Amino acid sequence: MIAWLTATDHKKVGVLYLVSTFGFFCIGGLLALGIRTQLARPGMTFVGPHAYDQLFTLHGTAMVFLFVAPFGIALGNFLIPLQIGAPDMAFPRLNATSLWLFVLGGLTVLSGAAAAGGAASNGWTSYAPLSEISIATGAGQDLWIVGLLMTSVSAILTALNFIVTIFLYRAPGMTMWRLPIFTWEMLATSLLILMAFPALTACLSMLLVDRRLGGHFFDPAQGGSAILYQHLFWFFGHPEVYVLILPFFGVITEIVAVFSRKPVFGYVGMVLSAFAIAGLSMGVWAHHMFTTGAVDNPFFSAVSLLIAVPTGLKFFNWVGTMWKGAIELTTPMLFAIGFMLNFLVGGITGVMIASPPIDYAAHASYFIVAHFHYTIAGGSLFAIFAALFFWFPKIFGFRLNERLGKICFWTLLVGFNVTFLPMHFMGIEGMPRRVYTYPDIGTLPLLNAIATAGSAIMAAGVAMFLVNVVASARRRIPAGDDPWGGFTLEWATASPPPEFNFTKLPPIRSERPAFDARLESAASGAER
Amino acid sequence: MPLLDPATVQGETMRSVWTVFVVVSIVVGAIVYALILAPLLFWRAKPGRLPARFSRNVPVEIVSTLVPLAIVAGLFYITDAKESRVDALQPHPFAIVDVTAFRWSWSFDYPGTHVQIAGSPREPPELVLARGETTQIDLRTADVNHSFWVPDFLYKRDAIPGMVNRFDFTPTRTGVFRGACAAFCGLDHTLMTFTVRVVTPPAYRRWIASGGVVRP
Repeated sequence: MIAWLTATDHKKVGVLYLVSTFGFFCIGGLLALGIRTQLARPGMTFVGPHAYDQLFTLHGTAMVFLFVAPFGIALGNFLIPLQIGAPDMAFPRLNATSLWLFVLGGLTVLSGAAAAGGAASNGWTSYAPLSEISIATGAGQDLWIVGLLMTSVSAILTALNFIVTIFLYRAPGMTMWRLPIFTWEMLATSLLILMAFPALTACLSMLLVDRRLGGHFFDPAQGGSAILYQHLFWFFGHPEVYVLILPFFGVITEIVAVFSRKPVFGYVGMVLSAFAIAGLSMGVWAHHMFTTGAVDNPFFSAVSLLIAVPTGLKFFNWVGTMWKGAIELTTPMLFAIGFMLNFLVGGITGVMIASPPIDYAAHASYFIVAHFHYTIAGGSLFAIFAALFFWFPKIFGFRLNERLGKICFWTLLVGFNVTFLPMHFMGIEGMPRRVYTYPDIGTLPLLNAIATAGSAIMAAGVAMFLVNVVASARRRIPAGDDPWGGFTLEWATASPPPEFNFTKLPPIRSERPAFDARLESAASGAER
Repeated sequence: MPLLDPATVQGETMRSVWTVFVVVSIVVGAIVYALILAPLLFWRAKPGRLPARFSRNVPVEIVSTLVPLAIVAGLFYITDAKESRVDALQPHPFAIVDVTAFRWSWSFDYPGTHVQIAGSPREPPELVLARGETTQIDLRTADVNHSFWVPDFLYKRDAIPGMVNRFDFTPTRTGVFRGACAAFCGLDHTLMTFTVRVVTPPAYRRWIASGGVVRP
């Protein structure tokens, strides 16, 4: 116990990130079930309106800030030093500081539920002036601000750590152009965090000054500006959604290559597209503000549409990687395919709402809820399960059950689409997001009932994963160093890797050193 | 389904953008789905069959960058042309209505007339517009952010403290349409609804003349 609390080893820190983010995911998921139960039929009173507002606020906050983004960091922590052949992160104690700042920040946000007046209840965006002290009087909003400030500082410190580690701690032979794509994507993510998160830190600090120190940053009556909050929040918020997806583009690239038994197609294009996406994502924030009448819509529309080009290139490169391969549909590969199929829908609706005349109807409706769940739940979440099934044997030293894994995949795929596909139509029918209930007209009751049923199926899928972990932990089938025939360096050491990771390193002559080493030993075996 | 039958001239313009994007989306989506699924059908691992070893194809990579670029360029051209038509304000509108959003309802004032309508969460107000005529809405908020949304018009616009947002509606048919607040604004956000009643111009004039008393 003490050993874990004081751990600075990147693998232990990674595992602690993994466990805590997954815990926050389960909490966020239960909150989502609460939302879907309330919306199962028109006029339900499963919870009161104030409790409902807390449900969707904490759901969004937990999933975005405490699960998907830090899960990328969890994987980065565990994998980056292994993939570049380093013994640990550049700053191990700073790394432990980041971890505990993150955990305490998350618990601080959630602790609002015990405050008088309840937790924060103004959505994960908490727009001012709604979140100002004159309206949001409770301490829940302050705990939300302080907790997120802690997580954002934690993310900035981790990003620095990743960047220094990748630049300075690569093993001999591991040139930049031999870095695994996952590590490249984490580098792009880290740079994005450094550019975007300070805006969040500023935004939240200003809100806290307004609330508790008599400031007027966001109050036009006192010379402040209400629209400024949206600019600051989205200047962080849009790069943030790429922080939520870039690491998982890397995950998918690794998994697709390994299970197609082919090198990554278009390696250079994959790297350049990651940086193109990161760069462009800094110039699209106001597409969240098309309906404010306060921004230059054509500019932000053009840049937002452009992001489709490097993202599209990634899809074509995944197809190129699978093309004429020898594809094995293992559980991680199934989740990777599911990621592509779901994320494509979210990407395409993303192109649609990048067009202001379309966004005028879709904005702040369930169409938007559908869009971003197709990217973050259908996309990132599926990639997270792909990553869990793929690297679980490396991290814990034993395999997960493949059969249960495949059932889990199909349950989640069906559950996800049944939940979120109908939401596109709810939005077009006129259902705003964040509503407590909806009128009994048109197809809204039917669509909502279907979505609620889907959420129950998704919950069953997640439960199946937990059952799989418990059942596999009991049987404990040893993974061996390299259960999948992996390409990158983490597969060239023991599972779980020893302290300082490698007892000896294979020569690094390409971006697939573990594959090269396997080929070489097979060749020398044949000669003998 | 509002998308199939928008009730304003501006809505029809926006629907034409929806149509183009939906068609392009379905075509592109179908092609990429086929590309993702085809390898699963054709190139599964089998004993004795080795995978290909290529890892690049520069012409293919260039084409798969340029084709999406051309598609989004075309989509942007359509977007920009249509948006300027939707956002344009008529210099001499038939009527102007001052709409004020507040927690949690709306007030509709018709300047120069005696018509002032204020709603409440339990009694949502009704906005009256004349068919075939352009009405300009001047949108403000009395407190926090709100958003004025009429799904059948395919349009919403935010009300933000310290700002006035102006936009035009030219309804094409009579009827009653639902409206709602689309920006979360606190406890009774859900009850912040309204209706829009579109009537013929003579009925509209009678209604204005009566000070908003006679049902239009």
